[in-house]
Amino acid sequence: MASATSANLNAVRETMDVLLEISRLLNTGLDMESLSICVRLCEQGINPEALSAVIKELRKASESLKVQQQQHTKCHFK
Amino acid sequence: MAHWSTFDKETEKETKKLIKCISGMEDEEDQNFQLALKFTWSNFRFHRFLDVDSHKVERSISGIYEKLMVHSDLRKAESWMRLTDEFLNSPLPQTDGKKTDAHYSVLSMLFSLSGSPSNNDFTERPRIKEAEAEDCFDWAKYLMEGEDIDNGLYPDTPVWSEDESEDDDSQRPISREDSGIQLDRTPPEDQDNTNKTVPVTWTVGEPGARAWLEQHVVTPYWVTHSPRFPHSLHLHSNLLNVWDQHLYNTDPLYLPEEKAFVTETQVIRETLWLFSGVKKHFIFQQHDGKVSVRNDVVVTHLTSNCLRSVLEYIAVYGQAVFRLQRFIDEVTGCSSEPCPPGSLSSHNSKKGSEPPFRTYQAFVWALNKYFTSFKEELTTIERELICNDETMTLSAVLERLGPHLSQIKVLHKVFCTGVADVPPATPNVVRASHLLNTLYKAIIEYDSVGEASEQAVALLFSLWTETVRPYLEIVDEWIVHGHLFDPAKEFIIQRNKDVPVNHRDFWYATYTLYSVSETVESEEKLNDSASGSSGGDQSSSSRQLTMVSFLKPVLKQIIMAGKSMQLLRNLHCTEAESSEKSSRDAERKDLYTLFLESVQSRLRSQETSPTNTVTDDQATRRSLIKMQSIVAQHLEMENVHDPLLAINFARLYLEQSDFQERFSGGDFIVDRSSQSVTCQTFELTLRSCLYPHIERRYIECCGNLMKTLKKDYKLLEYLQAMRNYFLLEAGDAMYDFYTAIFNKVQEKESWQQPSFLNVQLQEAVGQRYPEDSNRLSVFLENMDPSRKKHPVNNLEVLTLSYKVPWPVDIVISSECQKIYNQVFLLLLQIKWAKYSLDTLRFSGEIRPTDKPCPSEAPAEDVKLKEPVHQQIHRMCLLRVKLMHFVNSLHNYIMTRILHSTGLEFQHQVQEAKDLDQLIKIHYRYLATIHDRCLLREKVSFVKEAIMKVLNLVLIFSDRWQAGFGAWKIESIDKMESDFKNCHMFLVTILNKAVCRGSFPHCK
Repeated sequence: MASATSANLNAVRETMDVLLEISRLLNTGLDMESLSICVRLCEQGINPEALSAVIKELRKASESLKVQQQQHTKCHFK
Repeated sequence: MAHWSTFDKETEKETKKLIKCISGMEDEEDQNFQLALKFTWSNFRFHRFLDVDSHKVERSISGIYEKLMVHSDLRKAESWMRLTDEFLNSPLPQTDGKKTDAHYSVLSMLFSLSGSPSNNDFTERPRIKEAEAEDCFDWAKYLMEGEDIDNGLYPDTPVWSEDESEDDDSQRPISREDSGIQLDRTPPEDQDNTNKTVPVTWTVGEPGARAWLEQHVVTPYWVTHSPRFPHSLHLHSNLLNVWDQHLYNTDPLYLPEEKAFVTETQVIRETLWLFSGVKKHFIFQQHDGKVSVRNDVVVTHLTSNCLRSVLEYIAVYGQAVFRLQRFIDEVTGCSSEPCPPGSLSSHNSKKGSEPPFRTYQAFVWALNKYFTSFKEELTTIERELICNDETMTLSAVLERLGPHLSQIKVLHKVFCTGVADVPPATPNVVRASHLLNTLYKAIIEYDSVGEASEQAVALLFSLWTETVRPYLEIVDEWIVHGHLFDPAKEFIIQRNKDVPVNHRDFWYATYTLYSVSETVESEEKLNDSASGSSGGDQSSSSRQLTMVSFLKPVLKQIIMAGKSMQLLRNLHCTEAESSEKSSRDAERKDLYTLFLESVQSRLRSQETSPTNTVTDDQATRRSLIKMQSIVAQHLEMENVHDPLLAINFARLYLEQSDFQERFSGGDFIVDRSSQSVTCQTFELTLRSCLYPHIERRYIECCGNLMKTLKKDYKLLEYLQAMRNYFLLEAGDAMYDFYTAIFNKVQEKESWQQPSFLNVQLQEAVGQRYPEDSNRLSVFLENMDPSRKKHPVNNLEVLTLSYKVPWPVDIVISSECQKIYNQVFLLLLQIKWAKYSLDTLRFSGEIRPTDKPCPSEAPAEDVKLKEPVHQQIHRMCLLRVKLMHFVNSLHNYIMTRILHSTGLEFQHQVQEAKDLDQLIKIHYRYLATIHDRCLLREKVSFVKEAIMKVLNLVLIFSDRWQAGFGAWKIESIDKMESDFKNCHMFLVTILNKAVCRGSFPHCK
């Protein structure tokens, strides 16, 4: 039983590695962690396009937040 | 949508993870995080996308393949086909089977994330790189490349361009250089680079030299991917690996992270360095003044979470140290180096652009002292660590530093509230008093905890004594030399520059007291507070929290002493006796030294009397028992049976009596909790060590000032002169003056000429008081035309003025003179009425009207002159009545009011301790006579009535003068009734008032 699970684990791990390569090739900008989260979400039935839209939006928002904070801190230092 | 509502919980968890992962926000309570979560949820639930279509995805895969082929990127194209194929045929974590919807949806998500592969923007970075062992093609290529050209496959060149390999070659040296110096890039990013560069840095030496180096030099653990140090394979020292293995086995998606291995010794040393203020570390990182722990540091024998929690605990203190250190640097930065604030008196030599803020400097000096000792401790620990004689663990070191750490925590807390939270634009006064207040409050706060925080109290107390030094020095300078030296404007009292000392406003307007409140900063003029504080507690209670609290009990004394001293200084400097003073000053101890000495002697007496303490303890216990029984009896009387309450009462009572003893005895100290400065004792320390010195100084200064004013500046004489002339106490001289005026009036001549009045005054006064004659003068003011109708008001144009020289004019101000003048006018009016009644003669006898005097020839022509006779009689009666009224009023005011009040006043003046009190007494005196002469607004109706009578007197005397014949019976009637009315009115009013007791002085 234990060997079966571990075999399955390894298979999944290999799948994830392959997927990471695909993701790199496509330049999605996802790292292993976010990729595995995405896979889990997809498996749970989240629409992939909605998911990608969310990711793009989140990236954009956090980017602008960072810029804001930087400006803020710059003002502080002035 | 129903099909995934079952996954809600799981999905939500994953969603949160996703948000954290992508946006980097860690705090789930964060508003932004919540927003993002909401957004994500709504997108997941309500979207407009179709479900995944496997055919479409297949088409996309082949489309991308074609595109890659078109771009002649065969390698990539092949890799692409193979990878996708492999993926579609592999199992997913939770989905069984191959080519399921989940597979396609994952791919579809990747497609939409990557955008179109033909789009150049997105195709810049994709590369065919294979880290996988199973991908033979890429692996081989990778190895080959690694061997001959080091690396550099991944410079920022567009990968899709045809001449990729050539570009690579040209970029190579640069990329190598990059990789060589990149020490703190995150591991995943240059994972491959560093793999090669580290050996490069390490193969510099000969093998032998390297062995030597490894023995004697610390492994450069700060370099990413430094070689692992050798360590035991014992299970206990490999907990991390065990734990990792476990994680790896249980979670298919667990990714072993890149870790930087360090030893515990290294962690300890970094900790010590962090505490000693070193800014650059490997384990601890600083960003904008925040110390954080590096994520990927591990030791072999602890799990990363465990190590992390310990390190984060350290980082908090590290940050406190860092902030304090930065503050020290900031403050000392402007004054080159920390020096004891005492030497700042020589700051004249090194004048900066702005004067140093001495309170902060003193605070920093105290902090610095503390840190010196702290660093000494750190150095000892590090030395022991280097010697390597005994085992040292991180927790042992932390335990050893425990007391210091808690002290640092206290310091940091004080610093945060006292210094860091103050907005930058705050004036120095506010900052200084805020800092002192914070320290003071902190001491009391920690004090109340009792012995648990003895060390904190001791530390804070020493900090406070240092910080308070500039203040005490300012106070000292002020109350000893009369010179408020405060270049940085940090003292709560500041001198107003525009008022010279020899000005009469000096006493009031020279100093501004800044009182700092917790929320609002307000400034108040000193005269308010000075007059208020001598009056009582009403003003001090209202700003309980606003002032530098430790000075509050003696603030009034300080202010008085300071002002007195300055005044005295100025008085003396005209007399030039400063040389004697300065010589005396040399051996004089300043306030701060005195304070420190007292504190020391106090503490020493606590330390050196342990035997005493024991007996005292016994004594107190005995008396405690006695008290307890007494209190218990008391309580029993009230039907309360509570032994605990009884004990507490007894203790309370004992403490109070103890307090009495200490306070009165001064040097006799009973302290049950030996060394600690407990709550009472802190305030008591101040009371017994600081306040007496100030008090003594205050008494001395003010006494001197009063003596000087009384002796050298004839204050009393001037006050006497005011009474002489304004209150007509110099009756003879003033009689000459006013009768001259009244005569003129009676002669119906114009008397309102300044020259005439002044000549009269000079003549009258000059004969008797020649020294005052040139001070006195009379002015005429323009009358309010509306009030001119009554003859009695004619006098109100007169203004008597007396030139009071400085400094006596501080006491006898022009406002005072105004009141004096009002009383003077009232007296003059009464005198006038009296005079005009007194001087009435029966000159009518010889008047051409031929009316005989009624009293002397009553029988003559009785029939004809009956009405005349009657008239005369009535006139006489009226005259007597009026005379009675005026005389009693005159007597009452002159004797009952002015004289007796004057005596009281003289008595009080003799006893006045300071100038403020004297001024107060004088004001009170003036207010009293002003009040009793009915000049107050509130009783103006009484005064009006009296004025009416006086007016009546004048009209009456006028009529009388006109002669008997000119009288009309109606006018006599009117006068009589008027007088009667007024009289009745006054009698009722005054009776009522007397009954009410509101005029205790009335007849």
